[in-house]
Amino acid sequence: MVGVRRTGRVSRRDAEFTPPSLYIHVPTTPQSTDVTAEFVVLLVVVVTALAFDFTNGFHDTGNAMATSIATGALKPKTAVTLSATLNLVGAFLSVEVAATVAKGVVDLDTVGGTDLLLIVFAGLVGAILWNISTWLFGLPSSSSHALFGGLVGAALASIGVQGVVWDGVLGKVLIPAVLAPVIAALVSTVGIWSMHRLTRSVSNEHRDRGFRLGQIGTASLMSLAHGTNDAQKTMGVIFLALVAHGTITADTDMPFWVKVACAVAIALGTYLGGWRIIRTLGKGLVEIAPPQGLAAESSSAAIILTSSHFGLPLSTTHVATGSILGTGLGTKGAEVRWSVARRMVVAWVITLPCAAVVGATCWALAHLIGGMPGVLVVFAILCALAVFMWLRSRRQPVDASNVTADWDDKLAPAPGASETVTGEGRS
Amino acid sequence: MNLLTHTLDSLWQVVLVGLLLGAGLPSLFALGVRALDTGRGSDGTPNPAARTAAVLCFAVVACAILAGILLLASDFLAGTFGIDIF
Repeated sequence: MVGVRRTGRVSRRDAEFTPPSLYIHVPTTPQSTDVTAEFVVLLVVVVTALAFDFTNGFHDTGNAMATSIATGALKPKTAVTLSATLNLVGAFLSVEVAATVAKGVVDLDTVGGTDLLLIVFAGLVGAILWNISTWLFGLPSSSSHALFGGLVGAALASIGVQGVVWDGVLGKVLIPAVLAPVIAALVSTVGIWSMHRLTRSVSNEHRDRGFRLGQIGTASLMSLAHGTNDAQKTMGVIFLALVAHGTITADTDMPFWVKVACAVAIALGTYLGGWRIIRTLGKGLVEIAPPQGLAAESSSAAIILTSSHFGLPLSTTHVATGSILGTGLGTKGAEVRWSVARRMVVAWVITLPCAAVVGATCWALAHLIGGMPGVLVVFAILCALAVFMWLRSRRQPVDASNVTADWDDKLAPAPGASETVTGEGRS
Repeated sequence: MNLLTHTLDSLWQVVLVGLLLGAGLPSLFALGVRALDTGRGSDGTPNPAARTAAVLCFAVVACAILAGILLLASDFLAGTFGIDIF
């Protein structure tokens, strides 16, 4: 009955020349009769989305926790455990009705069914591969940009130029990316300057103990915010996939298992800890003492929590990096390692195009092979590349034991570097 | 053009609130740390006035963090329990 009513509504709308919408197309136009193959494709897309959520987690641990780990406010393992727990809680706090993924950046309303599944899948693969490569090089880059990039690439390849909302790319991705680090650096520069002035007379010991406590509070707030905002993105992707498959309609409430799966995936990723990125943010950019840590965390938390309310959603990664950089600018005699900052900026600039190229390539490959085999081949390539990059990372491992070793201009500290530091401390 | 004016309009608000909360609150926290330290008498315990000032500073910061948590949870609270905070 429902199906019939819907069909009736479609024809009436078509008569009024309303552009076709995802919500109407999907349930009424099954494009393939092979139910098993369709289900397998859906399953692969959902697994890929959760994998993206997982990379999102470990890629962004550093945004909240890098400074707390660097100043010793929290032990590395404690920090990632706290952050993972708060990400888990945060994920359950997000309730956004979810067909809004990449809304205003990619126009996915013109496609439906298997075509849409394929675009989402290719976009996710592009985003995951970019996230893992930047992690390998220890570069903090925005996971949202990677997801937008992957989807833009896949949409370009399949729908064409009109599949991308270029105004949205400019307004939601490019302009915020330029502004975020500048605003964050300004706020944290002012913050650290004023904190230094106010605590000039205080002994370092008392000052640092107080500031370390403050850092834990702000870092926790950022972790919670991360769980709320970022797990929601993956929930949106899975929701979109389920609608495209026809399992649910766009009016359905978010299935509870999707929430649980996304929350657990992002928490596990966070717990794994992107140590390479934590090291770059905490040790590579500037030397961080407790005042710098608190200034950076406060600036990041304030901007991330308020910016979207003023209609300028800023990427957590860009804000966190800008804030940390700003504390270096606001501290007299502090060294900012501009070479590290430059590498990060390059990574930010190429995130969107690179993820787009991978997304487009994956879409083309899956499309050429066609159907379930195409999706499975791309998924196999994704797994192979992920394992390859993980093996590469083992050559220069960065983990909880050496993440805070002195920065020697290399991503991974020389073997035994952490022991050397402790040894010097003892003598 | 519309995009530019919209961005500029959001920009000054974000910068203003960012400075107020992002730089102001840690400064207040620093003030509290200083009050505790400079108000310390010869026996090492802070005098009552300094202690009150410090507690006040920390309380404001704690309230701001609490407000942040409520802001994050506001949609959830509104959707699940029908509580509208903001």
